[in-house]
Amino acid sequence: MARIKKVLVANRGEIAIRVMRTCKELGLATVAVYSEADRSALHTRFADEAYCVGPAASRESYLVIDNILEAARKSGADAIHPGYGFLSENAKFVRACEKAGITFIGPAASSMDAMGEKTQARTNMIKAGVPVVPGNAAPFVNVEEAKAFAQKIGFPVMLKAAGGGGGKGMRRVDKADELDAAWRTARSEAMSAFGNDSVYMEKFLDQPHHVEIQVFGDMHGNVIHLNERECSAQRRNQKVVEETPSPILTPEMRAAMGEVAVKAAKAVNYVGAGTVEFLVDAKRNFYFLEMNTRLQVEHPVTEWVTGIDLVAWQIHVAQGGVLPLLEPIAARGHAIEVRIYAEDPATNFMPSPGTINTLRVPSGPGVRDDSAAYAGYRVPNFYDPMISKLSVWAPTRMQAILKMRRALDEYVLTGLTTNLRYLKQIVLHPEFVKGDYDTGFLGREHQRLLGEEQPALTRISMIAAALRAHQRTEKAQATLAAAQKPGALAGSAWRSSGRRQGSWKRGA
Amino acid sequence: MARSTKYFAKNLAHPDTPASELDVETLGDGRYAVTVDGRTFELESLVLPHGAVSMIVEGQSFSVEFDEKGDEVKVLLRGQLTRFDVADERKLRLRAATAGFTVEGKQTLTAPMPGKIVKVFVKVGDVVTEGQGLVVVEAMKMENELKSPKAGTVTQIITKEGATVENGAPLLVVE
Repeated sequence: MARIKKVLVANRGEIAIRVMRTCKELGLATVAVYSEADRSALHTRFADEAYCVGPAASRESYLVIDNILEAARKSGADAIHPGYGFLSENAKFVRACEKAGITFIGPAASSMDAMGEKTQARTNMIKAGVPVVPGNAAPFVNVEEAKAFAQKIGFPVMLKAAGGGGGKGMRRVDKADELDAAWRTARSEAMSAFGNDSVYMEKFLDQPHHVEIQVFGDMHGNVIHLNERECSAQRRNQKVVEETPSPILTPEMRAAMGEVAVKAAKAVNYVGAGTVEFLVDAKRNFYFLEMNTRLQVEHPVTEWVTGIDLVAWQIHVAQGGVLPLLEPIAARGHAIEVRIYAEDPATNFMPSPGTINTLRVPSGPGVRDDSAAYAGYRVPNFYDPMISKLSVWAPTRMQAILKMRRALDEYVLTGLTTNLRYLKQIVLHPEFVKGDYDTGFLGREHQRLLGEEQPALTRISMIAAALRAHQRTEKAQATLAAAQKPGALAGSAWRSSGRRQGSWKRGA
Repeated sequence: MARSTKYFAKNLAHPDTPASELDVETLGDGRYAVTVDGRTFELESLVLPHGAVSMIVEGQSFSVEFDEKGDEVKVLLRGQLTRFDVADERKLRLRAATAGFTVEGKQTLTAPMPGKIVKVFVKVGDVVTEGQGLVVVEAMKMENELKSPKAGTVTQIITKEGATVENGAPLLVVE
């Protein structure tokens, strides 16, 4: 198999930069694609080459297969890395790459078919002997059918997009009269996120844990797992904090879940990086939730504790390489990641796009920031509001928590509202520190997580705000006094005339 | 004795608590004396080129960042973000003179963020209940259903499906 020389990254934001970083380390040329709204985005400037693939709306740019392949053809890229989201789990795209003679860095189209459509995946997993959450086998034809099914299995239920995951097109429904609204928004969101508006239903497990296993396969039939990630800190089904190892897993559970995950991946001849997501109930039973046939957002925590560059492995197996490791390995130390979003936790996480004024990113030992932000960058309102993924590593979980608190305190981002304070409150919360938090944690503790003011800091802040107003007044008064001095008028007139002349000269 | 200036700062997280009064006195060389709640703080303030401030208050060092939007100033300090409305006496008088009226009973639904209107569920004349979904706005791939602030009748629809709206744009009126 030919070696990859030039990689086009069919994505934007932090993940495009993340992938390109490894490419650069491996000596591979990098190609960015960008929408008209992303001309000033960091990934566009970070790559060796960049091609515009259409207007701002992702449906007209990042999701248009022909435009991406046209950019690959123009640049002569021999491989495409899809990142996560967008076309990363689109089997049609994989087939189109194949047809164009370009290596797709990811699993085969057939594996995606088997796992990508969630109802199909459930059927396949049952066949392979993997435990699944109770639910229906095929997408609903209409809302009446969904209602009838919900009555049958009993509320609460989850409406889920059949076409993809990541919390998009997913709604919890507690009672029958909420179903119409949930049906509308879930379908419409699923359509815009995955280009497929079919939804299905699962029984809502009461406050389960969300634990996932990282798997990796090569073209020679080898599949291993790289331990778990605990992703139970979620709001609106979006992961907010992830960590590894999971504080609730015993070595026996880890081994059992790892084995099932490998079985699931082998059942669909999986090649590359993938993640098998499980729900774990209060009795520590685990159920297959879905398989994400791509690199996960939260992959850095796995990289921290295994020392593996997962993107480098993806490229290695995409060109036919054998997995560098064939046995599971033990995690070293503990890693935590938080997702920094442009959103306001106090107003129900309303997105808050805008321009970043100041940005000072934490650093120091054991701290990693994956981001595509810079001071002066305008966060567009067309895409996901995630600004950055901040992750830390330390020898023990408690040390990692302390490090994360320190790093969050160090993070300075002004110009738009972020969830930074909220994240700090999460890692301060006793339930988080204890480690036994389920997917209901953030919702239950919402009010507390909004944080309380520290009166001493509020007073200093108030002084700073008043002083700022005072310094402005003083400055204005000084300017006024200078203008009123005898001769000041003539002087300023001369200066402004000089400026006029200057600009006239430049304009000529 | 040096002249001091009065400022009134309202913590926007507690709109019902009256504004605090602060006396600011310039001592020169970047030094100030600020009196609040009967206590005087002597401090030194250094304004940095990008607008941030380094403040040393009784030996304690504070790195302060600001975000300003109209009358609201956000202060970021040691990981705490606090929002204030700061006014001097002149500004306060001006505001009292121009204070507007709110019309009871008539509510305008506005866009809480910039985005695209993907759905308008109602038309003029529709009777709606409080909390009923009226409009869906899409921003950053998330759809948000905006609900009616009150029970009433839709008297005006200002936006339409497919429209791109700015933060604060009026969408429709319920009376």
